[in-house]
Amino acid sequence: MKFLNSKNVQTIVLILVVSGLLFLAISGYLTPVFNLTLNPLVSLQRWLSVRYLSARDFLTTPREVTDLREQNAVLELQVSQLQTQLIVMEERLAEAQVCFALLDFGRTNPQYDYIAATVIGREISPFLQYIIIDKGTEDGVLYGMPVVTQQGLVGRVDAAIAAAARVKLITDSTSVVNVRLQTADIEAQLQGSLTGDVFLDMIPLDALIEPGDVVLTSGLGGNYPPNIFVGQVLSTQRRENALFQTASIQPIVDFSSINAVLVVNNFDAVDISPLIPEQ
Amino acid sequence: MISHLVCMLSLVVFYILQTTVFSQITLIAGTADLILLFLIAWSLQEEVKNTWLWTAIFGGLISVLSAMPFFSPLIGYLGAVGISKLLQRRIWRIPILAMFIVTLLGTIFQQAVYVIALQVNGAPISWAQSFDSVMLPSVLLNLIFALPVFAIANDLVGRIHPLEVET
Repeated sequence: MKFLNSKNVQTIVLILVVSGLLFLAISGYLTPVFNLTLNPLVSLQRWLSVRYLSARDFLTTPREVTDLREQNAVLELQVSQLQTQLIVMEERLAEAQVCFALLDFGRTNPQYDYIAATVIGREISPFLQYIIIDKGTEDGVLYGMPVVTQQGLVGRVDAAIAAAARVKLITDSTSVVNVRLQTADIEAQLQGSLTGDVFLDMIPLDALIEPGDVVLTSGLGGNYPPNIFVGQVLSTQRRENALFQTASIQPIVDFSSINAVLVVNNFDAVDISPLIPEQ
Repeated sequence: MISHLVCMLSLVVFYILQTTVFSQITLIAGTADLILLFLIAWSLQEEVKNTWLWTAIFGGLISVLSAMPFFSPLIGYLGAVGISKLLQRRIWRIPILAMFIVTLLGTIFQQAVYVIALQVNGAPISWAQSFDSVMLPSVLLNLIFALPVFAIANDLVGRIHPLEVET
């Protein structure tokens, strides 16, 4: 009877109560009781969790914005670097295209030697049509040398110093080039003007010229090599009582955007001025 | 000394700008002449005393570099600065007005000198075509660029000769 003392009885009752509660819980009979007691706890937990997350976001978000801004700055830098590289590549591509075109012209006219030059400036006075190139006497550029591009005739060297030269364009008002109309097989003079337009003069009145006729250098006068493309006829003008007809010419070279030229350095210009009688 | 240095460097910068950029900005066949504008703006500044010297030096240099005959750029620049000095004594209180008037008269004088020089040299150009195609557009372009060039010259002179505050 000693076993049935108060302590043991309490233990047995506790075990039975816990076992009973476990049995009731497992069998689902205590669910309403759990809901009643746990719901406030879950609500409290949720409230606290939301507050905590809000506080954490508030404290950590500024740091993330800073990180993002830094990353954005790095990416923007990379983009600007890539854009710069792209611009440089495009410029090199454009230069290469000009070089290829000039090289192509040199291959199709192998009888001449060329000095490639870049246009670095233009004449100050608006009355004159001259360009300044970056090659001079040090590079073999001399007075009187013809200047061409891959498209056609540009002009001739008017003055040269050690590192640069001045080229008189065929559009200059004082420029006169002896030319030949390919289809009509007649010769004429190409003259420039104040506005940069060029026209043909000294065309015989009986010559039949059509718009689109090709104009080439004739080589007469010894200033330019023959058969260099100059332009095409735009229109012809006949004046009453005039001895010759004239024609407007569209030059093949775009003189407003010219940026690289070839100087023909093995053409010997002939100075025929002593043979021309003084008037 | 600093005035000479600033004037020389400015003229060099304006010459480079003129030959590389502004000679390609055309209106019909006319172009602005930044060197002329700078010389006019420089000469209209009261504190500046070296305008004639640098006009002569730079006009001579440009005459050598240019294809214009008979030192006509030098004559054109000297004439424009002469007009500027003449008008400066009369309407100096309104320098910007003087700038516009001298730009107008100076450009016409300079272009007229160019036309005469080219005609004497045998160029087949007429006064009517020169006036329509070159002179009038050049005058207009010069008047457009006169204000910024004057502002630059005025600012440079203001930095070289700061105003003395009377106490």
